[in-house]
Amino acid sequence: MGKVFISLVVVFIVIGGALVYRATQSTSSLVLSPSEVLEKGSSRDLKRIRVGGRVVDPIQYQTEPQMILSFSVKNPAGGEGVVPVVYRGLKPDMFAAGRDVLIDGDYLGGTIQAAKLQTQCPSKYEPVVPGAAPAEGDKPTMAMN
Amino acid sequence: MVEFGQFSLCIAWLLALAVVIGGGVVGSGARTTPARLESLRRGTILVALTLGTSLIALGYLFVTNDYTVQYVWQYSNRDMPWIYKITAIWGGMDGSMLLWCFLVAAFSACVALRSRVYPRAIVAWLFSFLSSSTLFFTTITLFLTNPFRYLKSPVVMPDGNGLNPLLQNEYMAIHPPMLYLGFTGLAVPYAFCMAALASGQMSNDWIRLTRRWTLIGWTFLTAGIVLGGHWAYLELGWGGFWAWDPVENASFLPWLSATAFLHSVMVQERKGMLKVWNIFLIVLTYALTVFGTFLTRSGIVQSVHAFASTDIGWTFLVYLSTIIIVALGLSIYRRTELKPERAIESFFSREAVFLLNNLVLLSICFAVLWGVMFPVFSEAVTGVKQTVGIPFFNAVNVPLFLALIFLMGVGPSIAWKRSSLPQLLRSFAVPFVSAFVVAVALVFAGVVEFYPVLAYSLSFFGLMTILGEVQRGLSAQKGITHAGTWSPANLTTLWRRQRVKYGAHVIHFGVLIMTVAITASMAHKIEREFTLAPGERFSVGRFSLELNEFHEEQLANYEAIQAHVTLRALTSETPLEVLVPEMRFYRKNKETTTEVALRMGQREDVYLVLAGVDETGTKASMKVFVNPFQVWLWYGAIIMVVGGIIVAIPVPRGAKVRDSVSDKVAQSV
Repeated sequence: MGKVFISLVVVFIVIGGALVYRATQSTSSLVLSPSEVLEKGSSRDLKRIRVGGRVVDPIQYQTEPQMILSFSVKNPAGGEGVVPVVYRGLKPDMFAAGRDVLIDGDYLGGTIQAAKLQTQCPSKYEPVVPGAAPAEGDKPTMAMN
Repeated sequence: MVEFGQFSLCIAWLLALAVVIGGGVVGSGARTTPARLESLRRGTILVALTLGTSLIALGYLFVTNDYTVQYVWQYSNRDMPWIYKITAIWGGMDGSMLLWCFLVAAFSACVALRSRVYPRAIVAWLFSFLSSSTLFFTTITLFLTNPFRYLKSPVVMPDGNGLNPLLQNEYMAIHPPMLYLGFTGLAVPYAFCMAALASGQMSNDWIRLTRRWTLIGWTFLTAGIVLGGHWAYLELGWGGFWAWDPVENASFLPWLSATAFLHSVMVQERKGMLKVWNIFLIVLTYALTVFGTFLTRSGIVQSVHAFASTDIGWTFLVYLSTIIIVALGLSIYRRTELKPERAIESFFSREAVFLLNNLVLLSICFAVLWGVMFPVFSEAVTGVKQTVGIPFFNAVNVPLFLALIFLMGVGPSIAWKRSSLPQLLRSFAVPFVSAFVVAVALVFAGVVEFYPVLAYSLSFFGLMTILGEVQRGLSAQKGITHAGTWSPANLTTLWRRQRVKYGAHVIHFGVLIMTVAITASMAHKIEREFTLAPGERFSVGRFSLELNEFHEEQLANYEAIQAHVTLRALTSETPLEVLVPEMRFYRKNKETTTEVALRMGQREDVYLVLAGVDETGTKASMKVFVNPFQVWLWYGAIIMVVGGIIVAIPVPRGAKVRDSVSDKVAQSV
């Protein structure tokens, strides 16, 4: 192999590795389930976390003066405890009780302050039991709150 | 019809198995007779026909609302328009796997139809490796994700569950098939590569054939990825088009390695270098398409739109390991034939720049792969699961992409082997100075952020190098054909004779436009939330929005609330457009979705989402995004795809001779 080839490959491994390492250190989040949030967050706040959970009622969606969505999540696979979540922003499509969501944010004072909220969905829409009712959504009426 | 579809699938599986074994036996035997090759050719075509029949049978079951079939019941209902009943074929995993089988078989059939002109020594192995891909996916479809299974229910269900509302969109008709065409198309170069290695036919013939097939797969994949982005932009209501989600990344990874190959293959064609590297890229590309399928079917990482966790993930891992082991084994076996004919002599040469381009693309590929798999790695190593999101991908990829844009400008204008300082100055002095002037102008215009200024100026640098290439080509052309005079005929002659080269410039031009659009939409986007009563106005950017009225709609599949909002320029009372964002409630699925109202403009998009209506029904809350130059992202993508088509079209035999002469003249200038 030529010297040029080897030098270029080595330089790129170093540069690429450094970029990836630095970005990972400064942006990574802890992945937790709702029950782990309750356990680890009982004595301290948790910064930069991602929580995958199932939405449970009650859901409150305030659109004025600011869009604020308040709800709770529990472990999708079952388990103890629910964690309250507050998300300032537009309610994502198909958000409803029973739906699985991904939340990125901080756990502060017993509530997840969500910076990003995503409903897990399209291709996962697979009711398993024949005749099983899909998750209940909100029917849009003139009263949205 | 269920039995017919199932029977066709079984026949396809048996035929694919026969071609895999037959191809191997004929390929490894001493005599590859035309009769044997013809049998393999027909077998390959028949696999595609039988899988096509099976797919049509599934479509028939959807259209006729046959809810005795579990898959049809799961993804369709009577109220759905017929077009969505067709697109529901690939709405879930089972049907999407069948579509995958058919497409890979269809590509194999296309190769088979052209196989008479291919080197005979590799054809038998080619059919064998192509059909091995079909066989793998057909095995999964037949035994693990069969869409023809009956619903286990004591009574016939009167209606189905229906397709997810977000998938009831016209893009569902084109985005997944396009993406799958890209994935499956990339199985062809892999098969060519393995066939060449297995047969020992290591001349550059196979690599030239591979390049065209890679371009076809690459073009489909490009179109599929961008269509997905466009769909997300129109449908999901968050004002963006790309979120670095694992499913998006799964399609992006093979695109990156295929792009790298499309550049490095030229070095092998011209200079006989990078032979092992090219094999690595081809195998990596195919392995990444399989890995992407694994990622979206295994539930190994969290995603907003991954398929449900299934137990078929292990099959992909086994297949992935097989691909790598076979490729590695054959490469070691043929190592003497894979020695490069020469080494790269200088950093200032086209081959070095192409290698740099490859390294940047693979660095991006590695970073994306790392980001996707980081939760798995971190948990395996530290026992604590961590993840990375959009900030990670942007932090790593923005500088790497800008390096790529720079190399994209340098690559086509630098000489093969070695460039002297005068040559470099002649090619790059004007583009460099122009890019610097643009950077200074932007700073004076108030754009002071580092990355946007760099992105705009590098894009301009790239544009100037393309124009410089065209200008040099025209000069060479008029020198040889029109006795030193210029005429419009020069341009058409140049285009006709060097279509592939200028097709590549078209692709690069599309990339530059996309770069500007992405930079503008990332750096200068405006995002506001507001609430209005009828007659009230809200100002955003250079526009005002006035709520006129609400309107309720009842359709067969859903009911909706619409807000009618008049868009005006701040400087005028003349309405530009009435935007109608809406909220829909799908009765069958009990799902609520929002429908975005969008005004696409050359300067910016106004993107309006209805968030809700208050209790009294007199006020609407909305979110508006003003996305500068967004439409240029789609234009750039169209230009890239057009460029891909231009390059992929076969060059007439006579033109090849002229091309080489003309190219030599152009290179000498």
